[in-house]
Amino acid sequence: MEGFDVVKISYVKELLLKNAREDGRKMMGFRPIKLVTNVIDHAEGSAQVDLGATRVLAAVKLQVEETMEDTPNQGNLMVSSELLPLAHAEFESGPPSPESIELSRVVDRGIRAAETVDLPGLFIEEGKAWTVFIDLYVLNYNGNLFDASMMAAMAALASAKMPKYDSEKKEGIYTERTEPLKINRLAASTTFAKVDKTILLDPNIHEENAASARITIANDGNVVRAMQKGLGGSFSPKEIESLVDVSLSKYDELKRIIEQAAGK
Amino acid sequence: MPRQLVIPGEMIASEPVRLDNTYVENGKTFAKVLGFYESEKRQVIPLEGIWQPRIGDIVVGIVVNARNAVYEIDLSHFTRSILIGSKFDRQAYKPGDVIEAEVKDIEDRKTLILWRPRTLIGGTILEVKPTKVPRIIGKANTMIEQISKLTRCNISVGNNGIIWLKGANVPLATEAIRKIENEAHLPGLTEKIKHMLEEETQTTSK
Amino acid sequence: MADKSNRPQLIVDGKRLDGRGFNQLRPLKIEASVLKNADGSAYLEWGNNKVLAAVYGPKEAMPKHVQDPAKAIIKCKYSMAPFSSMGEHSRSGPNRRAIEISKVTREAFESVTMLHDYPASEIDIFIEILQSDGGTRAAGITAAAVAMASAGIHMKDLIYAVSFGKVGEDLILDLNMIEDNYSDCDMPTAVSPRNNDLVLLQMDGSLTREQLHNGLQMVLDAGKTISQIQKEALQRVYEGSENGNGV
Repeated sequence: MEGFDVVKISYVKELLLKNAREDGRKMMGFRPIKLVTNVIDHAEGSAQVDLGATRVLAAVKLQVEETMEDTPNQGNLMVSSELLPLAHAEFESGPPSPESIELSRVVDRGIRAAETVDLPGLFIEEGKAWTVFIDLYVLNYNGNLFDASMMAAMAALASAKMPKYDSEKKEGIYTERTEPLKINRLAASTTFAKVDKTILLDPNIHEENAASARITIANDGNVVRAMQKGLGGSFSPKEIESLVDVSLSKYDELKRIIEQAAGK
Repeated sequence: MPRQLVIPGEMIASEPVRLDNTYVENGKTFAKVLGFYESEKRQVIPLEGIWQPRIGDIVVGIVVNARNAVYEIDLSHFTRSILIGSKFDRQAYKPGDVIEAEVKDIEDRKTLILWRPRTLIGGTILEVKPTKVPRIIGKANTMIEQISKLTRCNISVGNNGIIWLKGANVPLATEAIRKIENEAHLPGLTEKIKHMLEEETQTTSK
Repeated sequence: MADKSNRPQLIVDGKRLDGRGFNQLRPLKIEASVLKNADGSAYLEWGNNKVLAAVYGPKEAMPKHVQDPAKAIIKCKYSMAPFSSMGEHSRSGPNRRAIEISKVTREAFESVTMLHDYPASEIDIFIEILQSDGGTRAAGITAAAVAMASAGIHMKDLIYAVSFGKVGEDLILDLNMIEDNYSDCDMPTAVSPRNNDLVLLQMDGSLTREQLHNGLQMVLDAGKTISQIQKEALQRVYEGSENGNGV
């Protein structure tokens, strides 16, 4: 972290003492969200989200593959993420960073645990099933990639269309995509940062830099589906419980945004 | 004032003219940067780009290294910046300190020698496009003094695009500076900013 | 190039498969300054290609041993998203093709950038192909040139790129994916329009001397349109300015 970040961290902390945030938000408020789908026609589903100045593109591709030995009766899900070097001066090209791997794995777990994608429904025939690839492309980084990525992934899945199956060639016919991909239920995630004693939702980059601990909670409106705590600090059980309440209370709002973007 | 948007490679004059942000080739003068060409004043004003240091420029930076009263300052620029302290203020600065200073000399286009330093304590930092700094300062400092007064903030503007702010209403001062940065090329800016600040400060004081 | 034995008929009744004439460009749209963090950026749609280009710098060159005390170095990375093509998901990460394209793109920009204005620094160019339909390197260069200008980088010129090719004995401009796959020749070309210097040139297939001449003429003619679209993209960012010269 460079010197300028240190000055901004002090400022974030100074503001929090006065119960204020840089952009005037409430502690449990999201930045403005703009979500649009079908931005990449070559993909089976796609969505781009602007969460404040954080921008993530999610694309869904479907492909016929051999079924896995341990799950011969269902399809598969693969989530990858790219912290593109064009998204931030400190992102570098090269093999995926631990941050990038964590991001894709947390989103993967949220989708899997909520059974968003109907994996058994992706089974085609003996030995063949669809694999759902989700690529998360971070285009501009300004904090909280988890929630932005989850939202983009959900909207991309909800807007995805299945290619037809060519039973002779055993592959997808990508020029014929009509049936929507079956979605069981949508998950939404909320990420909180703890700066000194204060906990806030949807940290921007300066707040993330100032944070001692971070937690992402994904839920489906009824139950918690995935969680991930990050950074060197900690939360008390009480804090986690109250954050789960906040997370559940945000679900309807986020679900509406995702459904609206996906035209549902 | 008649002015025209020019892109790199656009011909400014069919004869050789020595102008900033242009180059001469085969006896003709071309723009080398995206900017406005003002034909009356015969100048190309860049719209984007990094700071081009000049002697006398005011800069805001952060001390990154201090050794024997020689300080290395990060100005968020590819050049290296050195501040040489006097024996009277030995160890006056430590890494992490934010300072304002003036460019005294430029050596070999790569090293800036700074002097007349001043420590800036507390507050926060804003990064703006260096090409917009003249508009943020305004003619004879009018713009920045107006913002400073109406938001009750101390503001130090570096030509290198680093701005330091501290005071009562930093978010409003930040908003005003961002507005100038985004609309620097539009007319009537001073009035617009004044209007915006007065409106904001009135509603908050109610 | 794909096996030509099962080549589809690329030209029917003097028209190309997508209805274009031989020297007709696909629809081209550019938007400048689309990314907040980058120093300069551009988003381009050219036919079904969708490209994002961004520029960071000039900044201190890192690691230090790559620094040139006299001038800036350019680093360029072209990459293609795994979801960019119609069809199956592809592997991410640079392959030999992407590394070569990154190199020739970098060299195209080195030829017009005023590197000596920025001693010991580096300029990073990133080109992301989000959706591909033939001619992505030309699309990438055309977008990156706008991103370079919008970063305020000192350049002698705003370059553009487009390819031409050959089907049978017919020359065609701006090849799409299927034409690219089955044509008898493909020649991506990048041009500095101020003096029509060629700053990138690649070719494979077969061309007579005369075809080369005519093909280049097609490129230069189309270049006027491409340059104009590039300039308009930059103008739109500063729209509403107080002059009357069409800005």
